[in-house]
Amino acid sequence: MNMAWKEIKKNKGRFMILGSIVFLVSFLTFIISGLANGLSQDNAALIKELPDGSFYMDANADETYNLSKIDPDTQSNLLNKQAEAAALSIQMGFLNNKNDKQQSVAFVTSTDSSLFPKVKEGEVVLDASMKDTGIKVGDVLTNNQFSGKFTVKGFVDGKKYSHAPVAFINSENYKEMYRTEEMQLVFVPGEDKAQSVAGLQAYSKKQFLHTIPSYNAEQMSLNMIVWFLVVISGMLFAIFFYMMNVQKIGLYGILKAIGVKTGTLFKMMWTQMLLITAGALSLSVALSQGFKLLSPDGMPFSLTLDTTIQLSIVFLVIGFIGATLSGIQIKKVQPLQAIQQGEV
Amino acid sequence: MAIFTIDEVKKTFSNGEIEEEVLKGINLSLKEGEITALVGASGSGKSTLLTIAAGLQPASDGQVVFEGKNISAMTQEQIRKIRASKFGFIFQFAHLVPFLTVEEQLELMLDVSESTLKKDERKKEIDRVLKLVEMEHRRHAYPASLSGGEKQRVAIARAIIHKPKVLFADEPTASLDSKRSKDVMALIQRLTQTLNITTLMVTHDEDMLSYADRIIKMSDGMVS
Repeated sequence: MNMAWKEIKKNKGRFMILGSIVFLVSFLTFIISGLANGLSQDNAALIKELPDGSFYMDANADETYNLSKIDPDTQSNLLNKQAEAAALSIQMGFLNNKNDKQQSVAFVTSTDSSLFPKVKEGEVVLDASMKDTGIKVGDVLTNNQFSGKFTVKGFVDGKKYSHAPVAFINSENYKEMYRTEEMQLVFVPGEDKAQSVAGLQAYSKKQFLHTIPSYNAEQMSLNMIVWFLVVISGMLFAIFFYMMNVQKIGLYGILKAIGVKTGTLFKMMWTQMLLITAGALSLSVALSQGFKLLSPDGMPFSLTLDTTIQLSIVFLVIGFIGATLSGIQIKKVQPLQAIQQGEV
Repeated sequence: MAIFTIDEVKKTFSNGEIEEEVLKGINLSLKEGEITALVGASGSGKSTLLTIAAGLQPASDGQVVFEGKNISAMTQEQIRKIRASKFGFIFQFAHLVPFLTVEEQLELMLDVSESTLKKDERKKEIDRVLKLVEMEHRRHAYPASLSGGEKQRVAIARAIIHKPKVLFADEPTASLDSKRSKDVMALIQRLTQTLNITTLMVTHDEDMLSYADRIIKMSDGMVS
């Protein structure tokens, strides 16, 4: 007999309260997680969309790519070893449209590689979000540090850096604008293990993302909120089942007296935890996916299926731990005590 | 023929440095199909003896032998299995599961006793027992909607549905008025005789002694 389900059916109100609390906490967790991922994409999509590989930066740059200058000979040696490898530089700046209105962009230039758009001198390829500002293919844009003009050649999707749309420009134009001959970084895709190169420091993609100061601070804060919410939900389970178990101590004692196994009582509690969590999670997954569709265009929100599944599993594990900890009372309860306590 | 033997059972409770001997070497045997009533003043040790016999607490010394086996030497799990399949319990209060209907309370007991009855046989058995305790008309009711007497009748049905060998009844009528007490005792007597169940009962109520086949008086931890 499924006692767990029968108790839920008989005490709908009590279990609905727990279910709605778990739903609210998990929904909030999904939303904040979606925002964390969205901001992460908004901050570093340019890097995150690259395949796994190694970034090389000047060892004296103190983990700051802006300060990095890679010696051209070292760069050539590295690029010669891998056809898809690219040297690149990133600088924040502005583009002016025909009305002289400034748009904040991240200028990116690279050596020839299929990983980055090919751009001729005087051309610019922009992130697709720039279309929203009214810029079209063929428009002419200017920059205060550049003597020439940029003609918009096309748009690419999902290329953002430091919350700004990326503007891919030719390396000759970049050199003129930022008065430098050296590139900041070399990216070698597909490397399982970075090579040791004199004067350079190697970073995995994940390590490189953490050298971006705003990315680290932003993600740490949001992830902390997400994990706090997960821990809170675990505590809610523990407290709720503790309260329920305290109320049912007498009943558990009687059930033990008539021969019900302690394991059966634990299974009953776990089944209830599983049913409530699964119900609450289904609802919050559905609503958070709905939120993804309805959220305003400008809101950075990205909730992938992987993240949803991972968080759901974490919620189930936390709920299980919370309920089990509170269930220690079930193990302790003595049938005799319950019989002597009176009516349950 | 004795189905149950209590042999030199002693029980001592410790409270810090103070030790209190509640049972001082009890010898008792229960015959198959008999109702044995344990009577005595409060603190005489009758409830302690019943709970030791039922395997709900261990004796400090002595042994309890059921069907030739010393249950005092068994593990908790072995004792639980005996409680689930061979013993039935009726307490002072009905102690029904609040979220199960009358019929489900009996189903639960069949599950606990690991009954081998098939689904339709189970249903027939539940019908039969509910009829015995005259509760078939309340089979879908929850405990909260039952009167005290009805609850106790359901508790009796739960105690006998799995055909136990021994029924332990601890003050089964203490929470009932005199009419309902007599009804419940008459029912226990009838079921004991019909199903050949051995019953060990603790009671304060002298009016209930007429239903017992044997009366054992206890005083100060001993059979007097």
